[in-house]
Parts: sequence; C-alpha cells; structure tokens
Amino acid sequence: MSLDTQNLFSQETASNHLKIKIIGVGGAGTNAVDGLKLDDLGDVRLAAINTDAQALGNSPIAEKLLIGRSVTRGLGAGGEIEIGKAAAESDRDSIARLIADTDLIILIVGLGGGTGSAAVSVVAEVAAKTEALVLAFATLPFSFEGARRKRIAEESIGELRQLVHGLIPLPNDVLLQEGEEDTSVLNAFAVADRWIGRGVNSLCSMLLKTGLINQDFGSLRSVFHDRGGKTIFGTGMASGPDYVKNALDDLFLCPLLHMGDRPAQLDRIIVNVIGGADLGISKVNEIMSLVSKRFGSREDIVFGAVIDEGRHESLEICILGKADMEGKPAKAPEKSVKAVQQSTVEGGLGLETEIAQENKAPRPVHSSKLSKKKAAEIEANQDEFTFIYNDAQRGYFEKTDRNEYNGEDLDVPTFMRRGIKIKIK
Amino acid sequence: MSYSRVVGAVEIGTSKVAVLLGEIVGESGLNIIGHSACSSKGIKKGVITDLNVASDCVHAAILAAEKNAQTRIDEVYLAQTGSHLIGNFNVGTTNVSSPDGIIRSIDIESAKADAKRRKLPQSRTYIHHIQNPFSVDDRQVENPLSKEGRRLQVGYWSVHGDSDIVSDSLRVIRGIDLDVSDMIISSIASGAVLLQESEKENGALVIDMGGGTTDYVLYRKGYIVKTGVVPVGGDHITNDLSIGLRVGRKSAEDFKVKNGRAYYSSEDREEKVWMIGDLTIGDREYPMAAITKIIEARVSEVFDIIKLQLEEAELLEPSEIASGIVLTGGGARLNGIDEAAKRSIGLEARVSEGSTDVAEELRQPEYSTVLGLLHYALTGQEESAKTAKPSGLFRRIGSLLNLD
Repeated sequence: MSLDTQNLFSQETASNHLKIKIIGVGGAGTNAVDGLKLDDLGDVRLAAINTDAQALGNSPIAEKLLIGRSVTRGLGAGGEIEIGKAAAESDRDSIARLIADTDLIILIVGLGGGTGSAAVSVVAEVAAKTEALVLAFATLPFSFEGARRKRIAEESIGELRQLVHGLIPLPNDVLLQEGEEDTSVLNAFAVADRWIGRGVNSLCSMLLKTGLINQDFGSLRSVFHDRGGKTIFGTGMASGPDYVKNALDDLFLCPLLHMGDRPAQLDRIIVNVIGGADLGISKVNEIMSLVSKRFGSREDIVFGAVIDEGRHESLEICILGKADMEGKPAKAPEKSVKAVQQSTVEGGLGLETEIAQENKAPRPVHSSKLSKKKAAEIEANQDEFTFIYNDAQRGYFEKTDRNEYNGEDLDVPTFMRRGIKIKIK
Repeated sequence: MSYSRVVGAVEIGTSKVAVLLGEIVGESGLNIIGHSACSSKGIKKGVITDLNVASDCVHAAILAAEKNAQTRIDEVYLAQTGSHLIGNFNVGTTNVSSPDGIIRSIDIESAKADAKRRKLPQSRTYIHHIQNPFSVDDRQVENPLSKEGRRLQVGYWSVHGDSDIVSDSLRVIRGIDLDVSDMIISSIASGAVLLQESEKENGALVIDMGGGTTDYVLYRKGYIVKTGVVPVGGDHITNDLSIGLRVGRKSAEDFKVKNGRAYYSSEDREEKVWMIGDLTIGDREYPMAAITKIIEARVSEVFDIIKLQLEEAELLEPSEIASGIVLTGGGARLNGIDEAAKRSIGLEARVSEGSTDVAEELRQPEYSTVLGLLHYALTGQEESAKTAKPSGLFRRIGSLLNLD
C-alpha cells in the first residue's frame, strides 16, 4: 500500500478534528450521495466510487474515483458482478488512498447491480485495515426485480456484514411502505435516498454539533465496537403542535423497526433527536424514557439531543441499534449489555462480547431434519445473512426455514413482494 | 355382540390439534363418540418444529377426547400435511401375458407394480398410491379383468413425504402408546366427506385452507388426479397484517376475524376500523383498505399458485371440473374467500357447509379433515372386503411404523 506523502503530513495537523467521509459506491450509491442535504456540516467529506466514467462525470461530488479503467474502459460493469469485482481489485491502492486518514467512513451502496455489490466489499476490506469506524447503508432490490439481483444482493450483504462495524440493510420492499402516498416504484430510489439522508444527517449532526446532550465519536464507537452482528436503523419525524407525540408515533410505526410481532430488541442503541430551541430537557427526557421502554433498557441506550435553531415545533428522532447475532434471547434486559462507556474511544470492549456469546439462542428441538440440512446445505455464514436479509419481513416465521417458491420466500408478506403500498396513517 | 373398535382420528394442525373418536361397529356402522380440539404449540406451516411441546399438546388433546368419550382409543388414523409432501403421476404398463389376450389378475398386479416401481431416496417415504383408471390398448376401462387386449396400463397419483417429518409425527402418537393404522393426507380426507359422489364424478376442487398450509385435491371423473400443498395459511394472513399495520399478532388476528375480507373493494377507501373498538385509551383507527389490500394480496397469491400448478399439469379444464371449488378449513371463514377463489382460478366456488351426516358442532370447517379420517377408517375396511374399488388405496408403510 503506498500512501502519498501529502496525506501523511495532513494527518498531523488535523488530528483533533473528527474526519468523516461519506462514500457512495456504484451508480445507486453515488446518486444517494449526490442527493445528500446535510445541515451545514462543513467537516464532512463526500466521495464517489464507480466504474462508469460518464455517471461519475455528471456527479457534483468533489472527490471521485473511477475504478477498473483497465477492465471496463470506464463503461460500467453492466450488472456483472465479476466485472465489478475485477474493477475494484485492480484499484485497491487508489481506494486505500481515498479512505486514508478518516475516523468514520459511511459507505452508501445499492445492492443487486454489478459495481456496487462487488466493489463495496473491496472498499470495506480495505477500510477494515484502517482504524476507522465503518458503517454501511445498503439498499436491497425489490422482490420483483428478480431472483438474480436478489441473490447478488444477498451474497454481497453476507460478505459485507463481516467487514463493517454496522451494516444497515434497507430493503426497498419495506421502504416503499413508508413513502408518500403517491410513491410509485419508479421513484422508490428517491425514497431510499431520503431515508439514507435522514440517517446520515442525524448521525453527523450528533457528532459535529453541540446540543442539549452531546455525544461524541467515542459513544458511537462503543455502540459499534465489533464487526458483524445485526444493525437496525429507523427514524421518525413530525412537526406541528403535538410534535413530540407524533414524532414518537412515527418512529414506532417505522417499518424498519418492526419484526412483525414485536418491536426489534437491541443490545446497544444510539438515539439522536434533532429539535428546535423549544425542545426542552423535559421533553427530551420524555422521549428517552418512551424509546428505551420500547426498544431495550435504559442502560443500553446512548442519547444525544441536538438543537437546530432553524426548527420550531419540529422534531426528528433517529435510532441506530446493534443486536449481537445469535447472542440474544428475544427479551432479556437483565442479561443485556451494561451501560455503554461514553468517553473512551476503545471503551466497552471485552466483557460485552463475552456475555453476548454466552447467551446462545435456543436451537430448535426438531433436530433430525434441521441439523442435517444445516450441515449439508446451509453454511453458518449464509444462515446469518438470510436472517439479516429477511428478519424485518418474515415476522412470526423468522425462525423457520425459508419458504421458497419460484425464487420467492412465501413467508415474506405478499404485499411487500408485490410492491403494494399499504397506507396506515 | 358385534365386533367394535375405537378409532382416533388425529390432525396435528398448525393452529389446532383436532381429535375425533369414532366407534366402528361391525362392517359399516360408525358412531362418533368423542371429540376435542386444542391450540397447537410447536408446529409451524404444518410441520412439527418442537417435538416435546408438540407431543404435550397432542397428548392432551387425545386424553381429552378419550375422557369425553369415556373410552380408550384402539388405533389412530393420522392426517399429514406440509410442503414436504410431493405428488407424482406414474403410469404402469404391462403386456398381457396370456396368448389369447384375456387379461388375468396377474397382468393387473404386474401393471400396478410397474406403476409403483419408482424407488424413492432414503429421505422420502410414500404415503399414498392413489389409483386412477385402467386402460386397455388406450381405451379406459373400469375393471380390466377378463377384458381382451394386448397392453394394459394403470395410472397412480403417488404422494410421498420427507421421512424425518413423517416419522416425527408418528413418534408423537407412539409417545402415548398408540399405533397409527394409517396416514392420510389432509386434502384427501377433507374431500372424502365434503363431496358427494356425484360431485366427484363431475369434477371438483377441494381447497382446505388451514393455519399454516393450504391443501387441495382435484377430482375428475370420480378419481383423485392431483393433490397439493401450498405452505401458506391463515397464519400468513395474520403475519402480513401484523407487519403491514405494525400491530401485535393478537390485534392482527382480531382484524382478520372481525374486519377481514379476502378481496379489496373500492368502498374500503373511505372506511376506517378501530383496533380495539371499546373506547379504550390508546386505541386507534386503521383504514379498511389497508386490511383488505394486505389480505387480498396474500389470498390471491395462494389461489394463483394452485391455479398455476393445475395448469402445469394440464388439468384445469372448467368443463371437467363442473362442480367447481369447495372451500373448507379455518380459512374458509374469511369473508369473501369464495369470491376471491373464483376470481383467481376462474371456477365457481362455494364455502362448504360441512357434512350433513354429523352433529351441528362437527360441521365446522375445522373438523372436516378428522371426519374424513374416520370416513377412511370405515370405508377402508369396506374396500378391502369388496374388490378393488378405484377411489383410493391407502396402505400404511410398514417400515415407517417400526421406528425406534
């Protein structure tokens, strides 16, 4: 790996500033980064990585990296995962330069295509060798886009999850449910981008702005202290007279936070609220207690509250949570991880992982068939990623075998697979 | 005193375990002497997922039925369902052995054996070989014995299941020291009691939508020509509502039962329904359109899958299925299910009113499978007495019952 000398020098001068880089990978990822509207956050740098020279040329992002020129001659991967992979591999060094000297890397990618699905793992692999905390927002294709794109996305997400600290899967099937009433499938990408935008903006505001309750990078790092596991993300927002209640309602109805039967239960959660000057500490306390009651216990939750002077009677709540894979019974706050260390950057390691590993989820008793099947067909790794891909959508059937029929999982609600929008508000 | 035996018909369903006790007197008398039903545990999509928990609730149901009838069960007839059940149509062929071309019973046996020759892998077990008509030199005949011809053929609709899953269900019954005399797939059992002979002749499609699976059987010209299981049932509707409306399972179930309809109608756009409906604090209104759109998507998908499977087998000719669709199982209670079935499959559809031969409380759609099991416990006996009646040959698989 060859770091150029300029970067080495700049590292010294800016060491006390938090360096955040948001990187769009592939066409959809680049578009999402293009569309980001961040609340006056000067220190955040945006970048794009793609195989398609023309698409990159049209992007207003400052830092652009064309990968695989020798492989694709700048013409894109054409949906071919092998080409995307070769392109990313051929430019590992440039990727390393792009991500060097960063504290927090946020990857944004649309999975299912050739470039994003393949290159994002390479980027994550390179990033894993640095000290940076890496989070990834990955949209998953609609069911009706076909089994091929879905399979590519699943494979990619399985790889990616091992490499980053927090992977936030955003199934388009689910996001469509949350769009405006007139949301058609055609502008569904815009819906996904809006979601990512809200998440990224909330995260960055929390880290960079001063507020009622400040949270620093250390808190974020302690929530995402290890790689793997399951990350859950959701937001709620409202404005008007009853904005606190309505924003909470919106958050609790967020489809990404539901596993059918019950709200998602998480091991460590970071919650950030952005409100106007009228958001007092008592309102924040109210929000905190309701959110903790819903998603876990108070000790597991890190809260941040940011005041945005431009807002009035308007509130946005964003939650990011981590559940340790295989490690957690559905609801057992007394066993869950203790209070998150807030100040030290490496805080919270060690003990927590051990506890998490001890609480093995109960295996199904019907061992005769399942155990055989596990050994023969499903590798542990694959089992985990199907879990991550589907859990928000299978609900009651979460723990059962997939119900495959013509490439679709029949346990996932039909309306979601068919892209039928259900309006409940 | 004539000989009598007590048969327990047991269906280990996804949402409930149903047990019906029948006393078979002599050769043709059947008295239903006890019944019980209890909520299932440890079963999803028709398959046992937790053997211990499932055993406990099956045993409780059997004991309750025995208590209800104040007698002990002698033998058990067990229903089978689940997506592991797969059917194939196999044709057996033999050349008539005698030089004069007269078909003898040895030829019939040889044709039958040829149809059943297909060996299954270790992991699969035959549950039924259902005989279809014979044909002599490509002419269909009811009984080929003593007919003249050169080539004799017979078709069988054979259903096989996953050995582990089937043996798990047998283990549950053996755990309470009872023996399973026969296994019958749910769709065939339901069809047997819900259809008149004339309907079987005219052709009819019985669809039994349970909690975790939807089982169907197609009769044409009096024969079972196809059976199938779609691993989707009422639980899926509830789960879809729970996810789509973001409410708990209990509320989703209430919406399904109280407000559910199998198809969406434009009037639903204006209508709203309360989740609890008794002015409780925290109650909220939901659009009717949300409920019916979610259900419509699911229900029509199930019917579309059945339609596709019948089309692929080239069996969906409306003129050959003149008696249309008969719906049963808990799912048949869903408002508008007949209309939804008609729209998807394109055949007339009605919800079964249950067999009129039994007491009012046993006419519920939930009991049709166990009633069918008793029917087979009775007629199976008749059939062995008479000479091969073509409507079904249900033979237990000895090797499966000798499990340890």
